[in-house]
Amino acid sequence: MAEAAIKLGGKKKSIFMDKVKEILPQGNLSLCLTCGLCSSGCPATGLESMDPRKFLRMVALGMDDEILASDWPWCCTMCQRCVRVCPMQIDIPQLIFNIRKARPREDRPKGIRDSCDAAMKTETLSAMGTSVEDFIFVVEDVLEEYQESQPEFADMQAPIDKKGAEFFLNQNSREPVTEPDEMVPLWKILHLAGADWTYGSKAWTGENYCLFIADTDNWEKITRAQAAMTTELGCKTYLNTE
Amino acid sequence: MILSPGTKPYDPSGLDNLGYGKYPNVVTSDGFERILSAGGPYFGHVMRPLDREEPKSIAWLQCVGSRDTNTCGNGYCSSVCCMYAVKEAMIAKEHIHGDLDCVVFNMDMRTFGKDYEKYFLRARDKEGVRFEKARVHTITEDTETGDLNIKYADETGEMKEETFSMVVLSVGMTIPDSAVELAKKLGIDLNHYNFAKSDPFKPVETSKSGIYTCGVFQGPKDIPGSVTEASAAACLAGADLSESRGIDTPVVEVPEQKDIAGDDPRIGVFVCNCGINIGGVVDVPAVQEYAATLPNVVFADSNLFTCSQDTQEKIKEMIIDHNLNRVVVASCSPKTHEAMFMETLEACGLNRYLFEMANIRNQNSWIHSKTPEIATKKAKDLVRMAVARSTTLKPLNEKVITVNQSALVIGGGIAGMNSALNLGKQGFEVVLVEKDDVLGGMSLNLHHTIEGNAVRPYIEQLIEEVNAHEKVEVLTGAKVSAFGGYKGNFTTEVITGQDGEKRSIDHGAIVVATGAKEYKPTEYLYGEDDRVVTQVELGNILEEKGAADLDTVVMIQCVGSRNDEMQECSRICCQNAVKNALHIKKLNPDAQVFVLYRDIRTYGLMEDFYKEARELGVIFMRFDKDAPPEVAAGKDGLSISVKDHIMQQNVSIEADMLVLSAGMRAENTDELSGVMKLNRNPEGYFMEAHVKLRPVDMPGEGIFLCGTAHAPKLISETISQAQAAASRATTFLANSEIKLSAITAKVDVDHCVKCLTCVRSCPFQVPTFNTEEKVLEIDEAMCHGCGVCACVCPRQTIQLSFYEDDQLSCKIDALMAGGI
Ligand SMILES: Cc1cc2nc3c(=O)[nH]c(=O)nc-3n(C[C@H](O)[C@H](O)[C@H](O)COP(=O)(O)OP(=O)(O)OC[C@H]3O[C@@H](n4cnc5c(N)ncnc54)[C@H](O)[C@@H]3O)c2cc1C
Ligand code: SF4
Ligand code: SF4
Ligand code: SF4
Ligand code: SF4
Ligand code: SF4
Repeated sequence: MAEAAIKLGGKKKSIFMDKVKEILPQGNLSLCLTCGLCSSGCPATGLESMDPRKFLRMVALGMDDEILASDWPWCCTMCQRCVRVCPMQIDIPQLIFNIRKARPREDRPKGIRDSCDAAMKTETLSAMGTSVEDFIFVVEDVLEEYQESQPEFADMQAPIDKKGAEFFLNQNSREPVTEPDEMVPLWKILHLAGADWTYGSKAWTGENYCLFIADTDNWEKITRAQAAMTTELGCKTYLNTE
Repeated sequence: MILSPGTKPYDPSGLDNLGYGKYPNVVTSDGFERILSAGGPYFGHVMRPLDREEPKSIAWLQCVGSRDTNTCGNGYCSSVCCMYAVKEAMIAKEHIHGDLDCVVFNMDMRTFGKDYEKYFLRARDKEGVRFEKARVHTITEDTETGDLNIKYADETGEMKEETFSMVVLSVGMTIPDSAVELAKKLGIDLNHYNFAKSDPFKPVETSKSGIYTCGVFQGPKDIPGSVTEASAAACLAGADLSESRGIDTPVVEVPEQKDIAGDDPRIGVFVCNCGINIGGVVDVPAVQEYAATLPNVVFADSNLFTCSQDTQEKIKEMIIDHNLNRVVVASCSPKTHEAMFMETLEACGLNRYLFEMANIRNQNSWIHSKTPEIATKKAKDLVRMAVARSTTLKPLNEKVITVNQSALVIGGGIAGMNSALNLGKQGFEVVLVEKDDVLGGMSLNLHHTIEGNAVRPYIEQLIEEVNAHEKVEVLTGAKVSAFGGYKGNFTTEVITGQDGEKRSIDHGAIVVATGAKEYKPTEYLYGEDDRVVTQVELGNILEEKGAADLDTVVMIQCVGSRNDEMQECSRICCQNAVKNALHIKKLNPDAQVFVLYRDIRTYGLMEDFYKEARELGVIFMRFDKDAPPEVAAGKDGLSISVKDHIMQQNVSIEADMLVLSAGMRAENTDELSGVMKLNRNPEGYFMEAHVKLRPVDMPGEGIFLCGTAHAPKLISETISQAQAAASRATTFLANSEIKLSAITAKVDVDHCVKCLTCVRSCPFQVPTFNTEEKVLEIDEAMCHGCGVCACVCPRQTIQLSFYEDDQLSCKIDALMAGGI
């Protein structure tokens, strides 16, 4: 084997896992049975020659430099497929989140970071930087087009800021900008179901890149703004499409 | 009261990722047992439920509903599912004569029982069952074929995809709600998984005195363990009641035997339908009619169930009405039913050996179910043969011998002491023979059980009790030097003390409890470097010095076990490593402990301690048998290299101490087994009569076995087995007289040429040459009736009663007479 051996033993050193244990007292990472159930179901297995079990193993063995240097944590989708089946209920996405956070913000992946930053610059919180006016224009324009071309949907509505609607519907930022037609199928379903819904003109964004970049403060800001808009419109249910 | 409400298989319907209940070809292991069974839905033909096609490949998923505190909450290991998965794969391969791919997906293969590792190796290396160290996240179905797709990450982290015809979920054992309710009503304590709470030193006692428990309700276990515990529970309950033993026993009145000497044979034939088992295939009325035409048959009848109580009464009536002096039953197997029919004969004054059976079910209707005509013809042949043989049968008399109602226990460890004490409590005189100068055996080297119970106080109290018991005599520093006799009447010569005083002891039963020892390693610098110790030695160090000076400790598992020299698993060493690792961590939380293992076998409730060890930071690393760790000694420490199974990278650990999980080795009993003629397996452990059904009986009657003399086991398991042996010995000793079987060998000394072939061939060393009288002798009391000598005697001067030569050859003649 060409690789150098991993050095273990000697006097106990404090390792990253000890810190995570303090943050995550409920999920004891060292309980891992190395059974591999997580890796068998993880969409990120094999990426960067890594998988959740192996990653957790590096944490358990105190390979702190390697874990902080690895780009694999940015491959995790936070889907929770691993936690669901793990016999020890080990919260790998939580661990991943803390590892992402442990990197200086400027060293985190630029694409996700820029999306988070863009969201923080507009009231819509759109990662694409879409303004309130552009969003309203696109929604109304697309709606009109479908009402005309598909007579069976002549009555379909796509309300914005409708006070007292039952559902507050959020919207992925990409669609209004790059594929506006993709918004329509859900409108149709809601129309046929007779649902009373609305978009917000502000904070309508569905995604939260600040969560993925492990920017806790901005993640919180986005979530609070989404909740506030829903409350302001008096909607009972927040319909999350992401 | 004995509680044995047993178990309920875990129901996996709640695990939507495995698709049980949704995909027909995903079955549970208990469902698959039914598929394999001759009495199951497909009559033993292995088919998958969806389309009744023979599967081409089957996957087993282990630990479904066990070792999991997340999806099911059952943190324990169910102990049996690894072994039954191996067995199911082997049987499935046997039933499907073409190719069948079998894969068992597992975390650890826990084949820790006696001879289990050999079975596992045979499945893997000879039968090609694949064992994959991986677990499957989700099963999906190919909707067109009904095949099941499985994706898994192998140990290197590579994603693999495979398709199987069927998937078997190896579901664990759970305690049914009804048992929990029962326990509540009775006020006995249950543990956090609802198994009956027990103490390791009182394994079959519940929290309430007078209420005992056994089987899975006590903790997850297999059949041999359950049967053993059942006897143990019976032992303790029986000891409570020993004063009233023998009172109020109904006596069966047997009428005086009819003398049939000189009478012509008058045969009655009873043909059985066995419900539809026989009648559904064989034309039973035709067979009955045919039987009536055979020579000497004066009566023929048929019944729905010949074994029913009503039919016994009917048979008795017919014997009397028709003055029958031979009875033939054409039904099932003599193995299961012969004794019962013989009793029916006895009950109306006919000698029990005037009876013969024709097996027209197991050997006929079951296997020729597709060709009823041929089956009917064969049934007639079998009946004709049985009738011919019955004509040749003679009344035989069973010798009655008295039983010396006392026992000899060999070995004064936990097993020997417990069985002696319990036999004493049952009211029998016992002599306990220990070769060392003190009682206690291996347990004197142990400090705590994994549960944390102190061994020393227990042993001291046990020794005191044994010494104080009026019925138990203890001989220490004693050696068995000669042995003779037969069941119920043994004589053993024992040499005691320095002056070699000889003493002859008469006894009716024997309990063998000679124990086992720790293997003395020759590997990993043991004996060369004093930083390398065994688990037992580590136990002493921790007790005496603590763990304050330990920074890093490495443990290596399976030392002297599961290798080419000793194939078997030693069962105790995984829990020993976990126990000591926990002890270190509790004494010194900063000490780092690494356990290098092959499979972690903390079966049953001990899985909790494995979990606790991981929780406290003990690191477990798996290595392959072919790539064992390497150890180098340096001035400041030891350096241990091994490949981490997950990183797939070499790891080098600097350690202050290396602890070898040295396995168990049977006590050297060459001399003892030579003197007493007791059979041992190649590993030196004594053999039981039947692995599942008679786990504490030895093949010779009146001889019982317990403790590590039988196989590696824990103290708690040793105690229940010792109680079981005492119970079985009690059953034997409780009768002052026993009847011997009349089926024994007899030698015609006039024609014997003294070639001694029989002496060499008898598996029980019964035939002996009397050098004074110059004749060959076969002791009826010792003969097992196996017939080996009768077969090998070149002069055919040995006859086995009930199976004399003409009593067998007449059957062949009768078969030929029918033409083929
Ligand atoms: C290395 C090791 C570690 C273990 N760790 C644990 C543990 O952590 N927890 C646990 O529960 N159990 C453990 N055990 C198992 C435990 O020691 C046994 O279950 C128990 O001690 C067996 O008792 P025994 O009476 O069958 O055998 P033994 O204790 O071996 O006693 C047998 C006795 O028979 C005597 N004897 C042998 N031959 C003759 C003869 N020919 N004539 C007269 N006397 C004879 C011997 O001198 C001995 O005194 C361990 C065992 C070993 C070997
Ligand atoms: S949460 Fe992350 S680690 Fe877990 S399965 Fe999803 S992608 Fe894999
Ligand atoms: S599923 Fe859980 S226990 Fe199994 S390897 Fe993954 S993290 Fe470890
Ligand atoms: S490890 Fe234990 S629970 Fe898992 S399959 Fe094997 S015996 Fe059953
Ligand atoms: S260490 Fe002992 S108990 Fe564990 S697998 Fe090896 S031989 Fe079996
Ligand atoms: S019948 Fe069997 S046990 Fe009896 S003497 Fe012959 S060989 Fe031995």
